[in-house]
Amino acid sequence: MSIRINPNLLPDLLAAVQQNDVNQNVATQELASGRAVNQLSDNPAAAAAIVANHHQSSQDDQFLQNITTLQSKFQVADSTLSNVVTVLTRAISLGTEGANGTLNQSERQAIASEVQGLISQTASLANTTYQGTYLFGGTAVTAQPFTLNTSTFAVTYNGNNNTASVQLSTGNSIGANLPGSQLFQNASGSVFGALQALNTALTSGNNIPAAVTQVQNALSQINTQRVFYGNALNQINLSETFLNQDKVNLSSQENALIGVDPAKAASDLIQAQVAKQSTLSATGRILNLPTLLDFIK
Amino acid sequence: MGSLSAGLNIALQSLLTEQGAISTTSNNIANVNTPGYARQRADLLENSPVLIGNLTFGTGVHLQGVTSLRDPILDIRVNQETQQQGQLSAFISTGQQIQALFNEASGTGLQAPLTAFFNSFSRLSSDPSNLNARQGVLTAAQNLATAFNRTSSNLTTVQRNVDLSVTQSVNQINALTSQIASVNAQVNAATNAGQNPGPFIDQRQQLLNQLSSLVDVSEIDAGNGSLTLTTSSGAPLVVGNQAFQLTTQPDLNTGLQHIFSQGTDITAKITAGQLAGQLQVRDKEIPSVQSSLDTLAANLATAVNTQHQAGFDLNGAAGSNLFAPPPAGGVGAASSLKVVITDPTKVAASQDGTSGDNANANAILALQNQTIVNGQNPLNFYSGVVFNLGNDISTAQGNQQAGDLVLRQIQNLQGGVSGVDINEEAANLIRFQNAYQAAAHVASVIDSLLQTTIDIVGP
Repeated sequence: MSIRINPNLLPDLLAAVQQNDVNQNVATQELASGRAVNQLSDNPAAAAAIVANHHQSSQDDQFLQNITTLQSKFQVADSTLSNVVTVLTRAISLGTEGANGTLNQSERQAIASEVQGLISQTASLANTTYQGTYLFGGTAVTAQPFTLNTSTFAVTYNGNNNTASVQLSTGNSIGANLPGSQLFQNASGSVFGALQALNTALTSGNNIPAAVTQVQNALSQINTQRVFYGNALNQINLSETFLNQDKVNLSSQENALIGVDPAKAASDLIQAQVAKQSTLSATGRILNLPTLLDFIK
Repeated sequence: MGSLSAGLNIALQSLLTEQGAISTTSNNIANVNTPGYARQRADLLENSPVLIGNLTFGTGVHLQGVTSLRDPILDIRVNQETQQQGQLSAFISTGQQIQALFNEASGTGLQAPLTAFFNSFSRLSSDPSNLNARQGVLTAAQNLATAFNRTSSNLTTVQRNVDLSVTQSVNQINALTSQIASVNAQVNAATNAGQNPGPFIDQRQQLLNQLSSLVDVSEIDAGNGSLTLTTSSGAPLVVGNQAFQLTTQPDLNTGLQHIFSQGTDITAKITAGQLAGQLQVRDKEIPSVQSSLDTLAANLATAVNTQHQAGFDLNGAAGSNLFAPPPAGGVGAASSLKVVITDPTKVAASQDGTSGDNANANAILALQNQTIVNGQNPLNFYSGVVFNLGNDISTAQGNQQAGDLVLRQIQNLQGGVSGVDINEEAANLIRFQNAYQAAAHVASVIDSLLQTTIDIVGP
């Protein structure tokens, strides 16, 4: 006796139609959203990996923003120092002028008062702010770092010697400032010390050439310190390039994890549609098959 | 030697028998689309012969009975697979609501607020005395707290909804067991009376199949066609004509319904069917996700608070807690996470008390790469939660698909035994029709023979 088969084919046929519907739906959803992973259960591993990917990517965005902030800050600091260089150059030429033995006291005094002007100009440069914070006060950014005694022309530093470091990318930090003491009152060439000495020398008429030499030392010291900002700007640019590249990599990783291959999704969709049509047409035929009753009259 | 009247008797009995067979066929055709119907067969039996002299004469045919054709083993297999399917379907449909809360692929989840929180410290580090950057930290912390609160409360909502479904499932189970108990009595009565219990068994199997989609059922044959039904852990559901109702009672601590059978809590012992799927989501999946969120929120808040307290705010004062300290043990930390600083100057970015120092902001930023949550960094821990949730649902979906194939195959086997085939019925109909016509003809021939005999005798 042959095995009796289930005369009711409908559940199998309907299951086939339903499966086609599911395939069609999945392909449509993939095409519409551009993602192959629309729910965690579609691909749990990819959904978990995307957490780290998105985190890294938006972290990079923040680093890029930080870089823009630092860039403007460093540019302001660098151009401030460039102004200080101009001031010191002027002081050197004034000193050289004052060292000329043919000048009388009142002429030297006139030069000295110009130097005094340079001192207060330098003090105000050293108190430069960027968006409300002092650039050269170390990490004491809310109080004015340098105060000028207008009678003695002595300058006092109120800031500290600390530096802050900012992350440019994961694991890569940069010093965000140089303390004013290191820039303007450096032991190997103090800007304010030299200018004050020049002022004193011009006023008294003694030791002018020595004071000029001191200013020259201060100038070369400032130029040495300025390298820091040049380097920092370079490092920032490198990081910017790195971060942009990292974002490209992350985005292609994201695509590999959860993105959909449009060509594949489109062909899946067509395949599902064709399969559905053939299933429906087969179902129609099977359900319309004649039975024995059709032949009994 | 058989008599004419005996022959007439045989023909008449044959007419009745074929008529019964035709009626069975008709019933089969009528029920071709009835769910749960098992085809019936008319059992024709040859009558006992009579011995006249040394000759044995047949005495015709009679309809011994009508048998419903079903394979009890297949019925049980269908019910078992239905239980698995019921459980998986219930788990998946609710699980999908949970995973929608963590859809990281489309950016709805906790990754974005977590990242934004750490990024706010990154921004603060680049400009530590900037009030906007400080306000940014408070806003990001607030958003993070809100995200934790919302996700946690959404999980609770899903849990409460599932809890309602649990009560509904129990009510459905009770309604079904009552019906099965009364049908059970009818099967028993029919069996005892020697009748075909098939139609009642059809009905019972249909109800039993519905019950199987709800709860794990073990069937024990109690004899005489009666079935004893228990859960797989042995809690009675139906014994003979008596149904044992399940009851629900809310747990004093959680407020969630527990299921009792005869005063015993069987909540944890329900292993299959829709009810088991619902309990699995309510008592395992949601609490597990919830407790992961609590762990994450508690450890993160504690680590951030500790580091925040180690720093100094914009005015040089020592840092205070950024988040309200999480409850001891961490239970409920996600739902109660709260930012307690409102003044942006109170954000402790500095480590040495100066306004431009960012070392403490850097230290808080660095927490994102430190193993502060169960030996993992916060993002990795969270991505583990995402993976486990997705994986549980994906596994259930795989099992459901495989189980569905198995179920359909068994149903096909069952259909092979019990399904009505129109062609077969049509063939039978012709067979029985021919036999009926032949028997009628025989009767008419014997009638004419009797007439001849009567004519010979004469009036």
